[in-house]
Amino acid sequence: MAAGLQVVFGVQKIFNLACGSFYALGAYVGVSAVAWYAGAGGPPALFVVPLALAGLAVGAVGVVVERGLLRFVYDRDETFQLLLTFAVVLMMEDALRMIWGTSPRSTSGLYLTYGQLEVLGATVPVYNLIVIAASLVIAISIGWLLTRTAFGRIMRAAADNREMAEALGVDMRRVYAKVFTLGTALGTLGGALVIPATAAMSEMGIELIVEAFAVVVIGGLGSMRGAFVGALVVGVLRSIAISVYPELEMLLIYLIVIVVLVLRPRGLFGGAAA
Amino acid sequence: MTRSDIDPSRRQLLKLIGAAAGAAATRFDAGPVLAQGAPVKIGVLAIRAGIAAPVGAAGLRATEWWAERVNKAGGILGRPVQLIVEEESNPKDTVERYRKLVLQDQVEVVLGGISTGVTLALGPVAEDLGTPWLSWDGTTQKGVEETMPNPKWAFKSVDNEVEAIVAGILTPKYFKGIKTVAGIGNDYSYGHDCWESYQAVLKRYLPDVKFVLELFPKLGVTDFTSHIAAIQQSKADLLMCSFWSGDATIIMKQAAAVGLFKTMKGVFTTAGGVHDSLKKEFTPEGLLLGYNTMYFDDPKGSALLKQFVREYKAKYNEYPPYECDHAFFNAESYKAAIEKAAGAARRWPEKAQVVKALEGIEVESLSGRRSWREDHVQMCNFYQGITTHKNSYDFVTISPVEVVSTKQAMKPAGAKLFDWIGSWKI
Repeated sequence: MAAGLQVVFGVQKIFNLACGSFYALGAYVGVSAVAWYAGAGGPPALFVVPLALAGLAVGAVGVVVERGLLRFVYDRDETFQLLLTFAVVLMMEDALRMIWGTSPRSTSGLYLTYGQLEVLGATVPVYNLIVIAASLVIAISIGWLLTRTAFGRIMRAAADNREMAEALGVDMRRVYAKVFTLGTALGTLGGALVIPATAAMSEMGIELIVEAFAVVVIGGLGSMRGAFVGALVVGVLRSIAISVYPELEMLLIYLIVIVVLVLRPRGLFGGAAA
Repeated sequence: MTRSDIDPSRRQLLKLIGAAAGAAATRFDAGPVLAQGAPVKIGVLAIRAGIAAPVGAAGLRATEWWAERVNKAGGILGRPVQLIVEEESNPKDTVERYRKLVLQDQVEVVLGGISTGVTLALGPVAEDLGTPWLSWDGTTQKGVEETMPNPKWAFKSVDNEVEAIVAGILTPKYFKGIKTVAGIGNDYSYGHDCWESYQAVLKRYLPDVKFVLELFPKLGVTDFTSHIAAIQQSKADLLMCSFWSGDATIIMKQAAAVGLFKTMKGVFTTAGGVHDSLKKEFTPEGLLLGYNTMYFDDPKGSALLKQFVREYKAKYNEYPPYECDHAFFNAESYKAAIEKAAGAARRWPEKAQVVKALEGIEVESLSGRRSWREDHVQMCNFYQGITTHKNSYDFVTISPVEVVSTKQAMKPAGAKLFDWIGSWKI
C-alpha cells in the first residue's frame, strides 16, 4: 500500500488518503472471492490465486475514481485533493458497510492451510512467507516497470516535469489514469493478501493510512526504495517497542517521524523536494 | 374557496369551540384510559456504525423481535408498541438525539445505550428530562466507580468489569498450577478495568501469582504479530485477553499460527459478540471463553431462548450474541412494570409509577430470569466455559457451561470494587 501511495504521489503529486479505503476494499473483496472459491469446490491449497486475482481486479475502481473525481482537482490546491480523497474514504467506508455489513469478515482457517515452519526456534506460518515473497516480487516488478519499460520511463518523465512530457506528445490523461489504477491495484492487492491472517473491518483503511504516512515520511515522499525501507523501519521498531516497553509503541514511530522531518525533511530516500 | 368557507358565522364558531372544549374535558377526565389503542412510543438508541455496530445491531434486532411479539399478542394494555430508532454515536450528538426522542417525539421510555462513554453523559440528561431510560449495555461508571449511585429515572446495565471478575473466579478452578500471567486488552477504560479486576480477583485465589506482561494495543488494530511474540517471550503460564470485537478473532488466528496455546493456557472474556467467528481451525479446545450474559447454545436454555435463537438464525444467518438479551430484558421489564403499575383497573400509569414498578422487578428473559436491583442496576447471569470442538458448528462452543450470577460477581450497591474483592472470604 505504501508502494501505491508512492507511485501516485510521485507522478501525480496527489496526496491520496483514499489508499486506505482501497486497502479495505481489497480485503473485503478478497474474503468474498475466497468464500466463493471454497463454495465452488476449489482446492484449498490454491486459494491464494483467486485471492490475488480478486485483489488486482478490484483495482479497476481506480479508473473510476481517477476519471470521475480526481482529474478535476489536479490543478487545484493540495487542500482540495486532501478533502476530495478524504471524502472518498468516508464514502467507501459506508459503501463497504452497505455491501458487507457491519460485522468483521474473515476467511476462517485458510491462513493455516500451508502449515507452519520452524525458523530459528520460532514458529512461522508458511502463509507469512508467501506474503513476504509476494511483496518482494511486487517490489521487483515495480522496479523493473519504472526503470526498464517505456511506460516506466514515461511515468518518471511525467513525475519530473509534467509540462515537458506533455509537450513531447505524452497523453497525460492516459498516463494519470494508468498510474492511479496501478496505485489502487497495489493497495487492493495488499488488502487481499493480508486478509487470511486477519479480518476485514470497515474502519481498517483509516487505521492503516496513518501508519502508511509514517512509512512514507520516513522513507521519503515519492521514493519506492524509501517506501520499502520506511516499512521495514516502522515494522521492526514496533516489534521492538512492544517487547521492550509496550507503552512506547506508537510514540516511538512518531518520534522517528519527527526526527526524520527535522534532520532530513525529504525522508531517507527523498529525491524531489516535497 | 369562498369567503364564507373560511369565515364561519359566529354561531358556528361558538358551536365549534363548545364541542372542542367538551372533547378536551372528556379527554382530561378519562385520562390515560382514552389513550388506549394509541401506540406506545418507545425510543431506541442503537449504535449502527463503527466497531460496535454489530453489538448495536443485535440489540436493535432483539428489540424489534420483542415489539413484533408484543404487538401480535395485543400490545401493552391494548396499546400497540411503536419503536422510534435513533443513532448512538458520540456523547454530544447522542444526548441531542435523546432530547429529541423525549421532547419532540414524546416517547414514553428510551431504551438503549451501549458505550459507557455515551451513557455517562446520558445519565444526568435522563434524570433532567424525567422519562425512564433503560440502558442496554452502558453504565454510569467512571472506570469502576459509580457516578450516579441513586438515580431516579436512569436504569443501568451490569458493571463492565463483571466478566473479568467471573473469569478470575473460574481461572483457578480450571487451570491448576498457574504462576505467571500475561494480559492483553484494548487501550481504553474497559480494557484496563478488566485487567485490574481480573488481577485483583486472581490474587485472592492465588496469592503468589505474578503478572509478567500487560499489553494495551489501540482499538481497531488488526496485526498482533509483535504482541504475540512479546507474549511468547514472557513465557507466562496463562494469557488473559479482554478483546471483544473483530480483534478477538484476529489475535486467536495469529496466535494459532505460531502455536501459542500449545504451551500456554488462555482466558478470553470476549464480552460475547464474536463467537461464530472463532472457527475450530484456529481456536483450540481447553480455553476459558466467555459469552457474557447469554449463551445461545445453552443446553438448559428455555423454550423462549430456543425460539429466539432459531428465528434469529433464520432471519440474519447468525447466532445471537448477549446484547440481544440486555435489549430484550429492557423492553420486557418495561412492559411488566406498566402492567404491574396499571393494577387491576388497567389504567395507564404515570412515568414515575412505572419507575417505582421497575425497581426490583423480575421477569422471564431470553437467558432466564433477570431483574433490576433497587439502585437500578441490571441483575443476570454470566456464561463462561471451556472451549470444545464437539458440536455441529464450524466454530467452538463451551462445555461445561459455568453460570455465575451478578449476585456473586458484581459489587453490591454502594460498594467500592477493590475493597469489596478484598473482603471476600475464600
